[in-house]
Amino acid sequence: MRDIKVMAGNVAAVEMMRVEMLTGNVAAAWAARLADVDYIPAYPITPQTEIIETLAKWIGEGVMKAKLVQLESEHSMLTAAGTASLTGARVFTATSSQGLFYGFEMLYNISGWRAPLVLVNVSRGVAAPVTLEPDHNDVLAARDSGFLQFHAETCQDVLDLILLAYRVSEDRRVRLPSIVNMDGFYLSFTREPVNLPSQETVKDFLPPYTPTLPFRASRPVVKGASVLGGHIYTYFKHNIHESMRRAVEVFDEAARRYAELTGRLHKPVEGFCLEDAEYVLVMSNSFTTMGKRAVLKLRERGVPAGLVKIVMYRPFPSTQLVELLKNRRAVAVLDQNISLGMGGIIYQEVAGALYHQRNRPEILMSVIGGLGGKYISPEEFEYIFNALQHPEGREPNTPLFLFRKDELESVKKALGLAGLGGEMG
Amino acid sequence: MLKIRFHGRGGQGVKTSSRILGRAAFLDGFIAQDSPIYGAERRGAPVVSFTRISSTPITERGFIFDPDIVIVMDETLLNDWLARPLEGIKKGGAVFVNALSEFPPPEGHDDKLFITYDLTGRALEILGKPIISSPAAAAAAKITGLITKSSILEATAEELAELDLKDELVEKNIQLAAEVYDAISTPVINTQESGSITSEVSPLDYEPVSYEEVIHLDIVNLGNSALRRTGNWRIFKPIVDPQKCTGCLVCVVYCPDSCITLDENNKAVIDYDNCKGCMICLRECPLRAIYSVREVRVYA
Repeated sequence: MRDIKVMAGNVAAVEMMRVEMLTGNVAAAWAARLADVDYIPAYPITPQTEIIETLAKWIGEGVMKAKLVQLESEHSMLTAAGTASLTGARVFTATSSQGLFYGFEMLYNISGWRAPLVLVNVSRGVAAPVTLEPDHNDVLAARDSGFLQFHAETCQDVLDLILLAYRVSEDRRVRLPSIVNMDGFYLSFTREPVNLPSQETVKDFLPPYTPTLPFRASRPVVKGASVLGGHIYTYFKHNIHESMRRAVEVFDEAARRYAELTGRLHKPVEGFCLEDAEYVLVMSNSFTTMGKRAVLKLRERGVPAGLVKIVMYRPFPSTQLVELLKNRRAVAVLDQNISLGMGGIIYQEVAGALYHQRNRPEILMSVIGGLGGKYISPEEFEYIFNALQHPEGREPNTPLFLFRKDELESVKKALGLAGLGGEMG
Repeated sequence: MLKIRFHGRGGQGVKTSSRILGRAAFLDGFIAQDSPIYGAERRGAPVVSFTRISSTPITERGFIFDPDIVIVMDETLLNDWLARPLEGIKKGGAVFVNALSEFPPPEGHDDKLFITYDLTGRALEILGKPIISSPAAAAAAKITGLITKSSILEATAEELAELDLKDELVEKNIQLAAEVYDAISTPVINTQESGSITSEVSPLDYEPVSYEEVIHLDIVNLGNSALRRTGNWRIFKPIVDPQKCTGCLVCVVYCPDSCITLDENNKAVIDYDNCKGCMICLRECPLRAIYSVREVRVYA
């Protein structure tokens, strides 16, 4: 641990800026601890388990005051999380991939109940084939569930976005749950320096959660009643959609305040090297760091490359995104996911957002990469930008599937080992 | 196109009735569509089903708001505020009511033709059960003026066979359907396609960010189930014979809806506002002090 103490004449000015080497998982645990959460329903799954292990350890040691309960499944875990949140408890929980899917039906209930909890999803590709490494088909499956979604690039983002998520979720103009996403392994098990705000700073930033009509003994209330006929159902779905739309502005408010307190300003969509950029790559999550490196390399060679990172995925920040992408020559959307039979999920949404923009880029290219945590090499990033500069003959709606020769060799070898032909077949 | 709406209670065969009519129309070479609508399924609760019969492709689905013909399979539904069986019937349309006796058209419905027949009584005699899917379908078929007797009987046989009814019971249903088909005469139905039947479009707007608070899908007005009387779910009504009742409390214990209490003379009293007519009390009474009568509440 490295403490940077700014000693001054009076005690109040002693602000402790702690910078620690933290994994994304421990950063998430720290966020829950700093947010002073009351209740943590848990169920282990790789690569998320370290989060609840860390929280359990702290609670056991007495340095954190919260109730952690291990349930018998993610379905029970999410049910407990939503209902506890409705009592007025600040609730934190975490899962990944198959676990998220096992509890999936509860996601829509939790948002319908207006339970503003925060769920961390540690992305992991969805079986079959079985993997532990990340892509975003797990978290994007939850995109329509009424959860706000924030996607982290760094371990610092994990911590910051969880704190921001609590403030936006609990805001009375929004009152919807959040998912904060981090990539398994690339963030969850990766340590890097993380600034830890003080407990006082977080307390200042995050007002207490005051529930509306909470569950109380002797004062029953029905949440999420059944409504036949469709019109009441429609009315409340619209109501949630409306709250989602408001969340963009509420997020900006919260982010400005967070920046005042910590010096770190988060935006729904972030631009990188966009000045005069003609060729822009849109992407999200931890691989963005590597995308930025590729952009810098191209800039060195005089290629006007740039990058746009989507941080807030729900509500989808169409306006901000269009503002950054208009007047560009060519844009590629790198999807670390695939809607099988359609292509990249985010590509479709970016295309939809740009449709009404008069000065939309002429070329909008779909790229699929990083599925199951497949590494994206500098050469692959460069390949994308080359394709943007020379789009001739490429069918733009057919996704470019990133892959390398050595990987193809490896696949052949694996097929041989499996007895399915190839080198050893 | 002819649109037929069936109103009845869970357990009466409402859905099957619309299906028998739909299949009969199909057998007669028409284009047909049949469907039911219900909430949580409960014996005695109001159920609605629909049959559309057309000689050209049907371009509608779902609820029939403006029927040409309404089949009311339980006359106590006529004044049910939720079921509202007479709502939306086209001018010149026909209403069939399963009732013991004829009655004049209710107020505001002089422009419709009312036909009555005691289907339940006949079903009890022939089938031994108050299930009237086949006779109600036969009544509807005859009223349409489109469906042949052979088709309605064939459709009855096929639909009931699909429900695994014993051959003997299917035969009795066919007998009952034939009787009703013959007994009812086809009225002159001269309805006009009505215009728009719903109110003007008013898309939901968006509240600005300054909006103070979201609307929660919560219910805080508690105890409102008391507002929902279930007494009109009955097809049979249990009646206590005070001469035989000893106040043993067996019926009180067995009543699933807590509708039975003892009065000052230690005799069982039934809360008819909420009794659903399940007849568990009648079966459980050790002294056979409870008997049943058919529930009839003539439209007032």
